[in-house]
Amino acid sequence: MITVTINGKQIKIEKAVTVLDAARIAGIKIPTLCHHDLLESFGGCRLCLVEVEKLPRLQTACTMYITDGMVVQTETERVVEARKAMLEFLLINHALDCPYCDKAGECDLQDLVMKYGPSSGRFAEGKRKHPESYDDPIIVRNMERCISCTRCVRMCDKVQGASAISMVNRTSKTFVEPFSGGRYNCEYCGNCLTVCPVGAIMSRLHKHTYRPWYIEKNVDTICSFCGVGCTVTAQVRGNSIIRVIPEIGKGVNKGLLCNRGRFGYDYINSGGRLTSPLIRKNGVLEAATWSEAIAYVAGRLQDVKDKSGGSAIAGIASARCTNEDNYVFQKFMRAAIGSNSIDSAAAFAFAPAQKYFESIFGQGVTANPISGIAKADGVFVIGGDPTSVNPVLGLQIRAAAQKKVPVITVGYTPGLRNFSTHSILPAPFAETSLLAAIVSELSRIKSPDVIKSAFGEIIRSIQPVSSEDAQNACGIPADEIRGCADALAGMTNPAIIIGRDIILRSDGHTNLLLLAALMQLINGRIYLASEQPNERGIIDMGCVPDSLPGGRPIAVDSFRKRYEEFIGSPIPSSQGLGLMEIIAAAHSGQVKALYVMGENIAFNVPDHSYVKEALEALDFLVLQDSFMTETARMADVVLPTLSWAEKEGSFTNLEGRMQHLQKVVDGQGIDDWSALAEISTLLGVEMHYKGVKDVMAEIARVSPLHKGITYEDMEGGQCMWPYKGEPLRHDLVLPGIDMPDVKSMLRKPGKDMVYIGVDKPLFHSGSLSRNSQALSSISSKPFARIGGGLAGRLSLADGDYVTISTSAGSLDMPVMLFADMPENLVLVPNNFEGAGVYKILAWKMNENIKTPAFDSIEASLKKIERITAEGSA
Amino acid sequence: MLSDKALNEIHLIKSKYQDSRSCLLPSLYVVQKENGWISPAAMETVGELLSVPDATVKGVATFYSMFRREAMGRHLIQLCTNVACMIMGAERLVDILRDKYGLQPNGTSADGRFSLVIMECIGACDAAPAMLVDADLHGNINENTIMATLDKYA
Ligand code: SF4
Ligand code: SF4
Ligand code: SF4
Ligand code: FES
Ligand code: FES
Repeated sequence: MITVTINGKQIKIEKAVTVLDAARIAGIKIPTLCHHDLLESFGGCRLCLVEVEKLPRLQTACTMYITDGMVVQTETERVVEARKAMLEFLLINHALDCPYCDKAGECDLQDLVMKYGPSSGRFAEGKRKHPESYDDPIIVRNMERCISCTRCVRMCDKVQGASAISMVNRTSKTFVEPFSGGRYNCEYCGNCLTVCPVGAIMSRLHKHTYRPWYIEKNVDTICSFCGVGCTVTAQVRGNSIIRVIPEIGKGVNKGLLCNRGRFGYDYINSGGRLTSPLIRKNGVLEAATWSEAIAYVAGRLQDVKDKSGGSAIAGIASARCTNEDNYVFQKFMRAAIGSNSIDSAAAFAFAPAQKYFESIFGQGVTANPISGIAKADGVFVIGGDPTSVNPVLGLQIRAAAQKKVPVITVGYTPGLRNFSTHSILPAPFAETSLLAAIVSELSRIKSPDVIKSAFGEIIRSIQPVSSEDAQNACGIPADEIRGCADALAGMTNPAIIIGRDIILRSDGHTNLLLLAALMQLINGRIYLASEQPNERGIIDMGCVPDSLPGGRPIAVDSFRKRYEEFIGSPIPSSQGLGLMEIIAAAHSGQVKALYVMGENIAFNVPDHSYVKEALEALDFLVLQDSFMTETARMADVVLPTLSWAEKEGSFTNLEGRMQHLQKVVDGQGIDDWSALAEISTLLGVEMHYKGVKDVMAEIARVSPLHKGITYEDMEGGQCMWPYKGEPLRHDLVLPGIDMPDVKSMLRKPGKDMVYIGVDKPLFHSGSLSRNSQALSSISSKPFARIGGGLAGRLSLADGDYVTISTSAGSLDMPVMLFADMPENLVLVPNNFEGAGVYKILAWKMNENIKTPAFDSIEASLKKIERITAEGSA
Repeated sequence: MLSDKALNEIHLIKSKYQDSRSCLLPSLYVVQKENGWISPAAMETVGELLSVPDATVKGVATFYSMFRREAMGRHLIQLCTNVACMIMGAERLVDILRDKYGLQPNGTSADGRFSLVIMECIGACDAAPAMLVDADLHGNINENTIMATLDKYA
């Protein structure tokens, strides 16, 4: 116990903390400028000076640790004089333009000068001049206001890990600048502007429209872009969001955000919003009334059901919709339509991976707190760059790396380039051989005890693959593979982060098996990257062809009967079709009507012309969405729904945390669940929810996993899997082993042939973020990433246009060179209208996990001569 | 951009330190010795070689006033005009440099031979007035000797 006396108040503290923290515990506020709770203490501004008995000089409270018997005074005359002097120094250069500065009213410097003075400065040298910088699309810099506290630089270096900015020059000429001196060209997370205590780095989105006292309400809600589920505070005036900010310490993100979460909120005000229901009449979508549209949809669905049966109707839901929407969606499909053919884009990777791991290790095996990554003593990353798919999760990996633990990345992960200790870049699509060799090495190194389980038997029966054979197959030197296995063997609580690229291929199931073996061998915790905010929730809600809410298999009679009793109507007992099967069945005419909720399938399902044919072959396509999308243009009926920020509900993030999505502003359209309820009622299965709380209450009654959950339980972010419910008792389902012949794996593409992959840009999220002006202003056009080797072979330079073709079609776009990309690989994003890589991805089905496989696509790249970046010939 | 010799020197520096940031100052010094100044492109090269972010390199290179960030003449004259040197006549030396070589403070002579930077005390007050030419210190210089001293730098 350490006893300290601060301003005469005696307190006892367990461990040595700083005087600043001790004062906080005692309820005494010491002013600070360079200190920030997200950053380590710095001791630069000297505003926190205090008097410590027996020490002749004033001490900085933020860096001085308490000792037993210490006596501290925080507001003596001497201290106040010193603070006044410090502030006078800061004001030598600081432009006193508060009336014009957006920060006024929440500026630390302004507040401190008001409290401690001085009322005027004595320095007559004149202030330095810096024009306000608008070099960046969403950030505005005013370096006349910078007080050199270095908070932004420490944030960018130590927490964001982007190291994009730095303090340049010295003494009174110091200010903050990126390397270019102009544009930041950084990750645009905006975390530097969270920590800037003054108006030196600010958001351009609310320039001159924001004043703290304009804000009428602050609403805590959940970011709508990815499966991390960061907590954001939306600040509202009238019916518009003025800005979105994080709150220090709150949510999984604890005050950090990525560019999408902070700046992307403006998509809800996009001009592409749908305002009225539309019905296709004589080939043209025409505005209709709600009652007309609802009755029309019910009538057409009834027709199909009567003629071809419920199984001829399929449903595609969306992990961008809430649990409540998705719960009602599956209930509607099962009870009112009579079909189990329900799926979503989670079926590409998240759902099959989770299902695979749960079948071996039990339900909830992938529900691991994100905060555990930074605490892990090793990280293994495969299948994509987590720093662009789930940026705030990516920061956890960078934090682990800062602690110098081994970070192994397999595949192209540019966001971890400066953080990985083992950066392994196998030949495209040859990771299986690498994983097999790592598992073989580990089985040899690890004591047999760690694989004593039934699954251990499976691991033991995996045909060993030597690192030498793997080297031939994937091009990674055998020593490097062994080094990587050794590093893995030394870990005791590692995190394994798995992205979709390792799953979407013909050997995706083998990769999952090997990753499960890896997990068992090194006692790892699995994290599944999740591109949409509610991928975990959509599975829990039963929007999958084979299980009911709570993850109960539909094939088990007792579960099905119990559910039928609850909802009071029968549901089909046979397993339905999955996402890719639905598209194929629509193509073949077996599925005649499709109900889509919130997913742009015409764009987000691979092989656009095939998907288009499938949708055209349908008798009836109905879409609920907030935007006029590629899919909406093909639909027979479009029902406009509320968007994020306009609705209440819940999301379940990738770690299994249920979080409360709050309504922030009013919107046009209705809730997804309520449109479904109305149609269901017309089809004879009555649904009368008075509000979203009723839906949640039903989920809490029906799903054994979500027993008794209310929105109140979700406040504070502690509503974690398995909630208060009963996890499914788990029957081990042992996977079959289907090891490909590793030696035959190295595929040498022919001359001019390249492998094609999906690029996941940091600044975009599916086809949703293109509606955000802010995000589009950072990145407005697609480009293909290629490596140096390919560029050399085709004499390509940055900005040159190429035609990328496959058997399914072709795309023209400029290339950008990235020296560290694998040979023979081109990465193309699927975000921009008219230029999505899915257009040309002609997939084959991996029947084992029912995902499309992208590994057998032969692509070629041709330089387009004479076309300049402006597109003129 | 950097000669093999310079690159080798930087690699040698790298082998001496555990933390790549520790290599930054000596590596920048190698660059300056080679090019006479540190260009943005050179900062990028150093960043790449040391795996230190470009912005960090820039922060360091701009902090130390002895690192030059503009192209310099072949030889750099750093003339002190602080108190001791001023009293001993340094101002007259500035005039001489202007008249004889067309050298302005912070400028470069037309033939690219000399650049001049005015310094604040180079720690040679005992030999005031003093100047550095490249890395050589010349003390007790005066109107009569300065030209002869500079003649040695082609
Ligand atoms: S926006 Fe993020 S990445 Fe860019 S400078 Fe600021 S902290 Fe660094
Ligand atoms: S820009 Fe802001 S946060 Fe960065 S050093 Fe200046 S005052 Fe501090
Ligand atoms: S990491 Fe994901 S949830 Fe968090 S702010 Fe970014 S997009 Fe939103
Ligand atoms: S807050 Fe302690 S020195 Fe700045
Ligand atoms: S004043 Fe010139 S060297 Fe000190």
